[in-house]
Amino acid sequence: MMILIVSAVTFALLGFAGGDALTQLRDNPQISEVTIERLRSVYGLDQPLPIRYFRWLSGAVTGDLGESTYFRVPVSGLVRARSISTFLLGTAAFAIALTFAVPLSLAGVRYKSRTIAAFIDSLILLTASTPRIVLALVALAISVRLTASAMDTSSSVLFWLAALALSAPLISVFLAQFHGELQRTMREDFIKLARAKGLTESTVILRHAIRPALNPVLTIAGLSLGSVLGGSVIVESVLGRQGLGTLMVSAVRARDLPLVMGIVLFTSTAVWLGNAIGELLQAVNDKRIRDLGY
Amino acid sequence: MNEQLSTGGFTRRRTDRVAVVGWLVIGLFALCAVFAGFLAPYDHSAQSRFEPSAPATRIHFSGLTPIIHPQRVEDPLRRTYSEDTSNAFPLGFFLRGYSYTLLGIVETDVHLFGVRSTSGIAPRINLLGTDQLGRDRFSRLLYAIRFSFIVALIGVLVACLVGILIGGVSGYAGRLMDTFLMGVTDAMLALPTLILILGVRAAFPLELPMTRAALLLLLIFALTGWADMARLTRGLVLSLRTREFVVAAVALGVSQRRVLFRHILPNILPSLRTRALLLLPTFLLAEVALSYLGVGLQEPEPSLGNMLTAASDLDQLRSQPFNILAPALAVLLFTLAIRLVGRNERA
Repeated sequence: MMILIVSAVTFALLGFAGGDALTQLRDNPQISEVTIERLRSVYGLDQPLPIRYFRWLSGAVTGDLGESTYFRVPVSGLVRARSISTFLLGTAAFAIALTFAVPLSLAGVRYKSRTIAAFIDSLILLTASTPRIVLALVALAISVRLTASAMDTSSSVLFWLAALALSAPLISVFLAQFHGELQRTMREDFIKLARAKGLTESTVILRHAIRPALNPVLTIAGLSLGSVLGGSVIVESVLGRQGLGTLMVSAVRARDLPLVMGIVLFTSTAVWLGNAIGELLQAVNDKRIRDLGY
Repeated sequence: MNEQLSTGGFTRRRTDRVAVVGWLVIGLFALCAVFAGFLAPYDHSAQSRFEPSAPATRIHFSGLTPIIHPQRVEDPLRRTYSEDTSNAFPLGFFLRGYSYTLLGIVETDVHLFGVRSTSGIAPRINLLGTDQLGRDRFSRLLYAIRFSFIVALIGVLVACLVGILIGGVSGYAGRLMDTFLMGVTDAMLALPTLILILGVRAAFPLELPMTRAALLLLLIFALTGWADMARLTRGLVLSLRTREFVVAAVALGVSQRRVLFRHILPNILPSLRTRALLLLPTFLLAEVALSYLGVGLQEPEPSLGNMLTAASDLDQLRSQPFNILAPALAVLLFTLAIRLVGRNERA
């Protein structure tokens, strides 16, 4: 439903503003107005907006997103091919964020030391307020410094730098959420009970506190898929990676409406899926949610 | 409330001091935005053909007066420069240069600093070097801060207005309206913002003059940025509408609009203000991203985003990374300052 609204609004805006991929042809004196009109009817651009939207929608349901006017290939194939690289990058970013957030939060509640708490606080502040574009540019500067010629920057180094730049806001979100939630859980009665049973502090945390504290983190993780996809636009453009983000930029530059629509549809579906997976994982993690009737 | 008590006096005072630092940085940015013409020694689009991609001018001291040496091209292909130490020009303050309008009213040509010269022609002082067209990067940075800052500020105001209106109506009006409006809001919040912004951007022509580009950016920000504000406003309105003073106002027969705007709104304003402050870097970054991708403000007008496109010249990036990335540093400082202030307000 949400996807339907979004696609309709985007479509309406694109149509309303006027101008399409063929507008630019007008500047070419060799192409007559008649030719342009004929091309428009070939691509169905002379039809009124609702009909075009309906056509596009009925195609989209069957997985046919039309043909890109700029790349001259089907949109679905293009999006699928490019999304793999973005998917890898995003997964790496998630992995990095988790490897920062989980051990740090655990250490934070295990050793209630001021230094660790201060470190966590400042890390949250820093990662939350360092924009991805800044990180990506710094990563670029570093990779240029490291290698003699710009071209032979080894791709794996660049990949991890890109993933690191992409993961910075995730680190702050995960860390803040997980650490805060763990601290809250540690004040619960069942933790007191576990301690009273004589369990060691590590066992209390690892066996009793982690599970309930994990739930909100899973929600946030599902939600932050959108931020990763949005951030990939910047990170990929700066570091010159071919992915969904750069595809979107070239689509906007070429005013390639089918491609723009396709990517918007794909990303909103991906975000919706991310939320669904987040909720599903919560149900796996927490029996109480399962019993509510999932 | 509890947390405030438990943190005690000491930490409270320390966060206050941190917030002061944040406010100082923000104030500095505001000053740059307002007095860009006065602080910048040169016109942001004035090109100097003899020194493209020059490194930053070094400032020496002879006695107590700061002096600079003119730079000479050594290798025009590899763009290396050397200082001509036989010539020295003193720096001066409040010198006359190109004319600009101060605060939009006073036309003047006085600048904070510049190079003093007795013989007419003076070398240029480029604190951050020059770009490929020989334009002074420091001057461009100041004008870029002005543009980005103003666009982000007005964008926040517009988006807040829209968001508060939608959130207020949603929280105060009936259930059906609430469900609909919040459904749309949630959809907006879940979508990847930048992709949404780019999608909207695709609807408009690519190349736009400055004022229209600014207006378009504002429109895009208003279209995509209101959701967060609406969500917050709705929650606050919902919590307030059952409070005694609101119920009393309703019982007295005060009109709905008056209740919303005179009784509820003033009470939720402080929370809204903090959130609006936190929106500022979001919009600034959106402008930077769009201009960096070449779909925001276009050359020759400087913006923080399109100045950063210089980083794609990898040779330059290697030889003078600080000069190239100075706009990125400005962005970083600004977001950090806002966070520091915002964190304190929430505590």
